[in-house]
Order: sequence, then structure tokens, then C-alpha cells
Amino acid sequence: MSTTDTANATRGVAPGYAIPGRWPEDRAPLFTPKGWDNIARGNAPGNHARGHRGTAFPFRAALGAALTLAFTLTLGAADWPQFKGPGASGVSDETALPTEWSKTKGVKWQAKLPARGVSSPVVAAGKVYVTCSSGKRDDRLHVLCFDAATGKELWHRQLNATGPTACHQMTCMAAPTPVADATGVYALFATGDLVAFDPDGNLRWYRSLVGDYPDITNQVGMAASPVLAKDKLIVPMDNDGDSFLAAVDVRYGKNVWKVSRPRSINWVTPLVRDTAGKTEVLFAGPNGLTAYDADNGSKRWLYKDGGGAIPTGSLVGDTLFLPTKGVTAVKLGPDGVAGEPVMKAKELGTRHASPLVYKGRVYAVDGNGIITAADAKTGKLLFDERRKTPFSASPVGGDGKVYCVNEKGVTTVLKAGTDEYDVLADNDLGEEVLGTPAISGGCLFIRTDKTLFCVGR
Amino acid sequence: MLRRFRPGWAAAVALALFAASAPAQPDDLAKALATLKGVTKEGAANDAAGPAWKTVVDAGPAAFFPALTAVDDANPTAANWLRTAAGAVAEKEKKAGKALDAKALEGFVTDTKHAPSARRLAYEVLVAQDAAAPQRLLPKLLDDPQPDLRREAIAHGVKLAGLAASGSGEAEKAAYRRLFGFTREKEQAEELAKALDALGVKANVTEHFAFLTHVRVVGPFFSEKGKALSLAYPPETTPAAAEYDGKDGKVTWQAQATADKFGKIDFNETVGRLKNACVYARATVHADKATPAEFRVGSPNAVAIYLNGKKLFGREEYHHGDAMDYHVGKGVLAAGENTVVVKVCQNNQTDSWAQRWQFQARVCDATGGPLPGLTQVVDGRKLPLGAITQPEGKK
Repeated sequence: MSTTDTANATRGVAPGYAIPGRWPEDRAPLFTPKGWDNIARGNAPGNHARGHRGTAFPFRAALGAALTLAFTLTLGAADWPQFKGPGASGVSDETALPTEWSKTKGVKWQAKLPARGVSSPVVAAGKVYVTCSSGKRDDRLHVLCFDAATGKELWHRQLNATGPTACHQMTCMAAPTPVADATGVYALFATGDLVAFDPDGNLRWYRSLVGDYPDITNQVGMAASPVLAKDKLIVPMDNDGDSFLAAVDVRYGKNVWKVSRPRSINWVTPLVRDTAGKTEVLFAGPNGLTAYDADNGSKRWLYKDGGGAIPTGSLVGDTLFLPTKGVTAVKLGPDGVAGEPVMKAKELGTRHASPLVYKGRVYAVDGNGIITAADAKTGKLLFDERRKTPFSASPVGGDGKVYCVNEKGVTTVLKAGTDEYDVLADNDLGEEVLGTPAISGGCLFIRTDKTLFCVGR
Repeated sequence: MLRRFRPGWAAAVALALFAASAPAQPDDLAKALATLKGVTKEGAANDAAGPAWKTVVDAGPAAFFPALTAVDDANPTAANWLRTAAGAVAEKEKKAGKALDAKALEGFVTDTKHAPSARRLAYEVLVAQDAAAPQRLLPKLLDDPQPDLRREAIAHGVKLAGLAASGSGEAEKAAYRRLFGFTREKEQAEELAKALDALGVKANVTEHFAFLTHVRVVGPFFSEKGKALSLAYPPETTPAAAEYDGKDGKVTWQAQATADKFGKIDFNETVGRLKNACVYARATVHADKATPAEFRVGSPNAVAIYLNGKKLFGREEYHHGDAMDYHVGKGVLAAGENTVVVKVCQNNQTDSWAQRWQFQARVCDATGGPLPGLTQVVDGRKLPLGAITQPEGKK
């Protein structure tokens, strides 16, 4: 029995299924800090002001005040716009984040979800967006919007899947994490259905990617998440058939560019970086890590040792931490990887969940329930602790804490930045959690298979 | 600064605001629905479709049924634009504490000339307004073309049959037999077959799903670098030939039958555990009259489906699952004998989980149900599709 079959057998999965990993992991990145994305996309106050250049001062002043207020409200709580938050870092700058909670204690609000999902919640401009999928064939696709402050459900839209819905039992069609900003949310489903709603739930545009490209096929399920790169939505679609990476314009969802990719299932989410006046999309796959020019999709460079299939790396300054052979860190120059790896942490378990780089440490969790940490500079293993339950969600960090949520909904909160395994609390929500949590407004947003919890004050 | 205030500009804004909040006129609604129905590939009409969607939603309840009706002949992409608009209208009404016309909803649900997915949405809206609707409607939906309505109707029937069970079980048997005939889903069929079995009644799942249980197999043929789907071999177009040039010499059709409940035909057992190879399985299906049909295949290997020498479907995907009905080819069976060929390719993966070389195939209607007047021809005999006989020796 192969390693895969052994893992499957322990989880009640019939042997013989080629699962590139035990389950799919939702993931996604983006390099735009809160608010900057809006500015780049023409929604900033300055742009509005320019549109009213000829108006009288009081009107302009009032408009300016209103927009400043709106901008302040927008930025009052840091957005967590995509998989693993700002820049796919998994790190929040917020303070006073919660340490202890349970289903009945320390939960600001909770909202019932209509169905399961392994995608992460995302938060933008005071709204929380969540995707779910339901039905006997998992062919009903849901996008929901909640008020981040109160948990009130603001709207709920449903689509019918236009692509195949076969997948491994651990995952579902709501596996890719949506990406959001002040203009709304972009949701990609494993069926290839891609949709954009404004914050009020108005359908801005919709694409059936399987309708457009019928040879897309993946009987394991897709989980790579879309990300924003300036005015483009980057859509990863690596699969067993018509594989591609595409950029669509955020306004109407039409292709700006589309490049062919190897025919292989890949759940890695692209990273976006700005370098030497260019914006690059970094996409790890079976043949290595490829950098594409975000403007036109042309290949800029390839790092063959940076291949991936499931977890997503972290870009910290010019250092890229890749989940290959444990975790390997490389320096990026304008033309690609510069020199040999600067750090190797082979003992970190990064087969499924994406690693977290925080407070000088690299943290990883795995499907065997093991939490590991290494020094981010030297790669030295700091601790290797076995918990009882597997992890699917990636760890996230903030306020000097690392949050590791296991599949049974227990969050182990670690003190960050120490060399010891220092557990601050174990908090049980008692429901299945496969999606990575979001951090915003002093709260943790944890989506279970039934409920969206806002943990905090 | 005030001298720069321009009343004309302000009036234009006011007019625009008024226009934006004014209810859509019937002509506007019709145009908006036409725009949504006109969306095609790659977002080509998205710039017009976004505003059209809002026009439909802003039209309120008056747009609900026209939007759902427009789904009837819409492509799948357009259908999602239309259904989400109808759903948004329903959500708005619900939040406003209003209900949509229940009688009209029920009429829409029960009118099967409407698109199944639109009827399903109408059903869900109705049930949200009227909790008694399922009890009233589900008994009428046992043979519904919408899969979820059908499944729920059958589940409801099972519940009623259990509640009404007589001492002898005869009524139960009759009810379960009837429900078994309507089901289109694997798990539900197995559940009903088990319930019937417990009552001493045999229900044949293999025949119910019309699996091809008797085929002739030829091969192996060569597969370049584990990819054979694009390599065309003569059995695809001339399946009646007696022999072909195979991978290792001349090959001829060999009989293979299966006793597997779900029609699995395993080539590792008969052709051998090969890599870089493909085989063809041929079945003869007799139709009493010309019959539109679906040819549904499940396999962990790359497959292609041919009907009377014409390719209906092909997909190169290996060892990532073998969901029943994952691959679907559509064609029309001619009156008389038809040749159905399934090409099954094995790649060159050496992983232990990548060794299966098999397929299951069935012939059914668009709901996945049995088609009348079809049989499989085996050695000159007409047998029901899905018939299981003792495995034949190689001929």
C-alpha cells in the first residue's frame, strides 16, 4: 500500500485514488495591503475628487469629508482580502486578538451557513464573504455576505454548477477561497464557475470556465484560489485537461491574457509581487515556480526547484519561503531567484497546509496533527509536537500569537516568537474546520462546516 | 467658489438618480432578459449583462417568473445570470416581509415544460413560504426531470411507505418496487434494493442502470509515453474487423462479461497488467426504433466513446477517480443493431494506486433512467441491458 493509500485508508478513503495529498487546502495570496488595492483600481478618494474638479468648494469639501469617512471606515478594520490574508502572509498587524474562546464564550457573533465549504472567509470594507456548496451532487454554489460587525446576513446568492463536481470526499466545490476588496467579491468554485458581486450582492459578471474551455477536468477537485493583481483577477486553473493561468479584467471578467500550463492537478495559489517596475505573478506547479508578467502573461523566469502541488509559499520582503522539502527560503532579485537557498527547514511538515512565517519563526502543521516550528534564518528545528487531530487549515498569526485550527475545530493558540512550544490555550468550537481562518477588526473569523464564527470582542 | 456651481450638472445628477430608482418598464425588462439570454463565451457580453441583471432585479416581483421562464431555452451560462436575478428578487421580497404568488409558484413547479433548474428554484421559494408544500407536491414529482426534486420525492415516498407498512408487507413491496423504478441515483437505488431484498423481492440494480455487461475486447494497442487517447486505431472506425495490428502482433476480439453490480469490466484480469497500452471494448446494442441516448462511462483511465464508428466523447485523465457517469457521450441509436465502442487507455504510472485499468458503461436517457426497447446482443441472443450471465470463455 502506498503512502497515499495508507493515508486514505486511515481516513476511510478507498485505495487506488490518486490524491496529490490527503485533501485539498484552500489557499490564495495577494500582495496588496488593505486599501491600496482600491487605490490601484480607481476607487480611491483622489480619483473620485478628480471627477468633481469643477464643483464648488463646499460640495467638494463635503464630498471629501464623506469619502475620508468612508475610507476611514473601510480601513478601520484591516481587511483580510484573500487566502492567508494580506499578501498571502497569513499575518495580521492587529492587536488585542482573542486568546481563549469556546462555542459559548468569547464569540462576538455566529451565523449559520447553508452548507459546507473548505474555503476561507475573507473580509473587506466591513463585510465578510463566504462560499459554500450543497446538494447531493454538490452542484449548488453559494456566495454569502455578512456584516463584519454584527454577523447579519446581508445577501446570499446561488449559482448552479456548470462544470463537473466529482472530487475527493474531503473537499467540495467551495474549496477555492474568494478574493474581495471594497468593490465586492470574486468567487471561483472548483466547478470552474467564476463570479463577481458588488458589496450589495449585485451580479457584476459571471463566467462558466468549463463552458468556455470544456476540456477542463479534475476528479479530485480544485482548490487554488484567485488573487488580485492591480486591475486584473488572476485565475489559476491547473487541472488534468485544459490547464491554464489567466488574467481577467476586474470590471467585466474578460480575458486579458491566458497562458497554457502543464496538465496536472495543482492546488497552489499564485503569489503577486512588485519588482523593478513590474508586477509578477509567481505560480508554483509541477515544473517549478514560474514568474509571469502580470500585464501580459509572458514568462519572466522559472525556478525549477520551486515546484509545488498543494501548499502556498510566503513572500516576506525579498525572501520567498517555499513549501518544498519542508520549507526552503530563497532570495528574489528582479530577474528571479538569486543564488542558492538561504534557509532549509527539512523537518517542517508542509505537505498540505501552507507554512506561516511570523516573528522570526516558520510554523507548519500537518495531516498527522503535528505542529512544528523552525528558525526562519537558520532552519533549525525548534519544536515538533504531536497533537491528536489532523490539520487542514493553514496557521495564521497576529498579536504575538499563532493560531492553528485542527479539523475538529480546536484552535491551539501558541505564543509566537519563542523557541519553545508555548501553548496559550486550546479552544474548541466542536465543528469541522478545514478552511484557514481570517483575522480582521480584532476578531478571528472561523468557518466550520455549519457556522461562521466571529471570535473576539 | 459658489460661482462654479452648475445647476445643469446637478439637475442631470438628480435625473439620473431618479431614473436609477424608477421601476423598470416592461420593455426594459424584456430587453434586459434578452441581454442576459444572449451571453455566450468568455464573458463577451458581460459589459451589457451586468446592468441588465440589475434592471431585472430592480423590476421586483414582476420580473421573477419572466426571469425563470427565460431559463427554459437559455445556455448554462445565461441560465445562471437569470436564476441569480430571480433569486435576488425572491430574497428582496422575503426581507421586505412579502411573499411571491404561491399559486403561480406551484403552477411553475408542476409545469415540466419549464427548465428543471428554474422549477427547482421556484420550488425552494415556495417551500420557504409554505412548509406544507412538500407534502402536497412531492408525491407528484416521482418521475421529475429535475434530479433533486425526483430524489426528494422518492425519499418522501419511502418515508410514506414505511409509515403505511401493512402486516404482510405487500403494500410496502409494491411501493418500494414503484419507487425503485423511478430512482436514478446509485445510493438511493441500493437503499431501495436492500429494502426490497429484506421483503424477499429481488431488485436488479445492474439492469436498472442498464450497464453494458457483455462486451468483446481487442488489444492491447501501443500507447506513446502513456498517452493513447489521441492515437487513432482501426477499432474506432471499423469495429467489425476480425483482427488488427496490436502492440505485440495481431489481436482479435475476445468476449468478456462482468457480474459486477455496477458493470465494472476489468482489463487487468483479462488483458493483463500492462502499462502504455489501450484496449477497445465493443458492445452491440439493439434498438427497436431510433432512440436518442446517453452513453455514460466511469473509469480511472482515459476513455473515448464511439457509436457506430463516430466519436461521441474523449477525455484523457488518469487515476483521479472513477465516478459513475463522469463521462457522457450523447448520440442517437439507429433502429436495429448499433455498435458501441469504449476505448480505455492505461498510462505509465508505477504508483500502486495507479494500476487499475477498467471501466463501466451504460446506456440511458437524459435523466439517467432506462430506455425502452433496448437490448444488448450477445452471441446472437438479445439480453436486457445489465443482464448478468455466467462469464463466458474466450471465443
